[in-house]
Amino acid sequence: MKRRDFLKNIAVGSIVLNIKPNILAQEKKYPDLAVVQGELPSQITREAISILGGVNRFISKGDEVLIKPNIGWDRTPEQAACTNPQVVKTLVELCFEAGAKKVKVMDHTINPARRTYVRSGIAEAAKEAGADVPFTNEHKLKKVPINGQKLKEWEVYRDFLETDKLINVPITKHHSLSRLTLGMKNWLGALGGNRNQLHQSLDYAMVDLAAFFKPTLSFMDSYRILHRNGPQGGRLSDVKLHKTVAAGVDYVAVDSIGAHFMDINPGELMFLKIANERGLGEIDLEKLTIEKRKI
Amino acid sequence: MKKERSKKYRAVQILRILSQTLFFALFFYLLLGTHFPGKDYIGNVEIFFHFDPLLALTTLIAARVVFLSFVFASITIVLTFVFGRFVCAWVCPLGSIHQFFSFVFKKSKLLKPKLIKNKLPTLKYYILIFILVGTIFSLNLVGILDPLSLLYRSFAEGVFPVLNHTFSNVLGLLYQAEFYSIADPIAQFLTTLDINSIFTQVFFIGSLFLAIVLLNIHRERFWCRYLCPLGALLGLFSRWNVLKLEIDSKKCIECNLCTLHCETQANPFPNKDWKSSECVYCFTCSSICPTNAIRFPLKTQMEKIETVNLSRRKLLLTSIVGAVLAPFFRLSPESKRASEKLIRPPGALPEKQFLEKCVKCGECMKVCPTNALQPVLKEAGPEGLWTPMLVPKIGYCEYYCSLCTQVCPTGAIKELTVPEKTQVKIGTSWINKNRCIPWKFGDPCIVCEEHCPVSPKAIKLIKAEVKTPEGEIKTPLAPVIDIDLCIGCGICENKCPVMDKPAIYVTSVGESRSEENQLKLDLISGSGGIY
Repeated sequence: MKRRDFLKNIAVGSIVLNIKPNILAQEKKYPDLAVVQGELPSQITREAISILGGVNRFISKGDEVLIKPNIGWDRTPEQAACTNPQVVKTLVELCFEAGAKKVKVMDHTINPARRTYVRSGIAEAAKEAGADVPFTNEHKLKKVPINGQKLKEWEVYRDFLETDKLINVPITKHHSLSRLTLGMKNWLGALGGNRNQLHQSLDYAMVDLAAFFKPTLSFMDSYRILHRNGPQGGRLSDVKLHKTVAAGVDYVAVDSIGAHFMDINPGELMFLKIANERGLGEIDLEKLTIEKRKI
Repeated sequence: MKKERSKKYRAVQILRILSQTLFFALFFYLLLGTHFPGKDYIGNVEIFFHFDPLLALTTLIAARVVFLSFVFASITIVLTFVFGRFVCAWVCPLGSIHQFFSFVFKKSKLLKPKLIKNKLPTLKYYILIFILVGTIFSLNLVGILDPLSLLYRSFAEGVFPVLNHTFSNVLGLLYQAEFYSIADPIAQFLTTLDINSIFTQVFFIGSLFLAIVLLNIHRERFWCRYLCPLGALLGLFSRWNVLKLEIDSKKCIECNLCTLHCETQANPFPNKDWKSSECVYCFTCSSICPTNAIRFPLKTQMEKIETVNLSRRKLLLTSIVGAVLAPFFRLSPESKRASEKLIRPPGALPEKQFLEKCVKCGECMKVCPTNALQPVLKEAGPEGLWTPMLVPKIGYCEYYCSLCTQVCPTGAIKELTVPEKTQVKIGTSWINKNRCIPWKFGDPCIVCEEHCPVSPKAIKLIKAEVKTPEGEIKTPLAPVIDIDLCIGCGICENKCPVMDKPAIYVTSVGESRSEENQLKLDLISGSGGIY
């Protein structure tokens, strides 16, 4: 099944679900969201994927996969400004287990990439699992139609356009403008251009980008949560150990559970409201089937 | 008479070329390696400079301190005492460049060697005297002409940016042609090299270097002959050396070929006119001699010979000119009141001591991971030309980085650990409310706050009340600055979405290194810290 068809089915499915949730809910094979708590990031990552039906549900043999963590800042994993390297590593391993031909892990970083790739621990971890960890390069930027509500077109790194499967792996963080930075904001890291100008309409831009990229899978790293001084923190006291990950196909729902982890009602967040109103996904956690596990 | 060139000296020449290649490669390798090494601390990439006795001497006199790393320079001095100025033709990477281009220009007939008889190239000695007189007044101008500083600066701030631009264009073509499998690894490799490609004086510094290279069209190794102050210093040391030129008068046919092709005007013929202080031991004369008449026998007994013969009058005049001119390099408004744009790298000593030590080599600018450090043109007065300053519009000071402090060869930037560095304030940031998007238009932005690396953030957000041109009242979150927390890193200015003239900007006031350039009364008392 092509990624696009698959997503179309999901979209159609979720609309149908909105109309008659009771009837169809029983027929659903997998829960909407997997939430797993535990000591080891790698273990809970594996568990979350297996709850969703295993990696073969998302990745097919011979696929090229691009995993997009947040590698934006020159900070250590303990500072929780970038995605947990063990989570990334485990996802790379899983993709290869499903027969992926090639797995790329990359981000258009904010601090110099050579530093953030190292200090975040992501480059080393991903390479250990056999992934390519390329830097973005300006020659690969391509202006593409985003066709969003606000964003009409923008420059995107071709790596993100020319891959079979996209996996979004954000970390749960505080942000002064959108209040939180979760999965939908993570897509700013696929862009070139003067992306700082997007802040003037950040909530809309995030939704437009999320709808454009439509990841195969969204994986929320909430092992450590940056609860203040985001999005880069600094002090260890800015960080809470939450030891949880959440995953799902509905990227709006995944962000909603991330908001929930931060004790914020998803409906209070502008970008989630906009996304929900546009029918991109569910923000009402009550309406979602969530399978929680503790290991 | 049948031509009978010396095979032995031909071999020595080849050995010399090998040595030059080796040392140039080493210099180049260290130069390329001066970038973020994938960890917080970089090794001794500045080691080449510590073998330079000129830098050692000027730093010693100008700053009146002994910098221990310069102990290596004594090796160079001792070797010069024993073997003469061989460093110029066997080691010096700038010398190798000049020799190479002289060779190229000669082969392409652009350079036609002329016979210059009994005229000593003395200009470099006066340049040296001028520099040394300056150092007595703590004026350190050596970096402008020291061959290592000059070469490093020219490469890092002139040649590399141009090469990088060219490579990038070629890469662009590869991508256009969709040769991804070739282009991707090259692009990845280029990023790994971390070449800083934006420099405010690429044209100036690059052109100067080009001019110096082109001077070789006029005379072989023009720079080494007439200008190099290090060559002059080594020339002064070389008069006791054990390798002295000898011409076998029985074999000599007085063809003058040796003097004609002498690379540095050392006058091999006649034998008595040979100048040990000018000879760089390239062995061109001995291998070019058609009758194999020239030798350099080893004489264990070191005898002094009269070499550099500077006129006393000129010497005195140069010293006086140096003493009189010293204030010209120094008197500038910046000596009275700090320049707001002169944001020095973290760890930079207080301005006076900094200028006494900085040799303008550009190591710090090469290693800076964000390309933030730029050569000064006028912000530090004439003596501060090509010293480093942070230009936030180009780059910012990376919070967990102290690389520039580690590579400074003279300690003008004090070596700091990363935790020490995060405590250093290099300036203070200010908001221009007339240009700031929330303050001016009432629209959301907060990009500066988001990027502020200190925790808690030095940029706070408050609810502002803004009247739009339509008369509507908006209440956006707008940035304000807590100057006690701000370290002046400049990332706010660098990332500000107001492209041309950022709405938030850093000035030097409040910098930890200065006692005078302060803002608030309570900051002045009890400061000092790592200095």
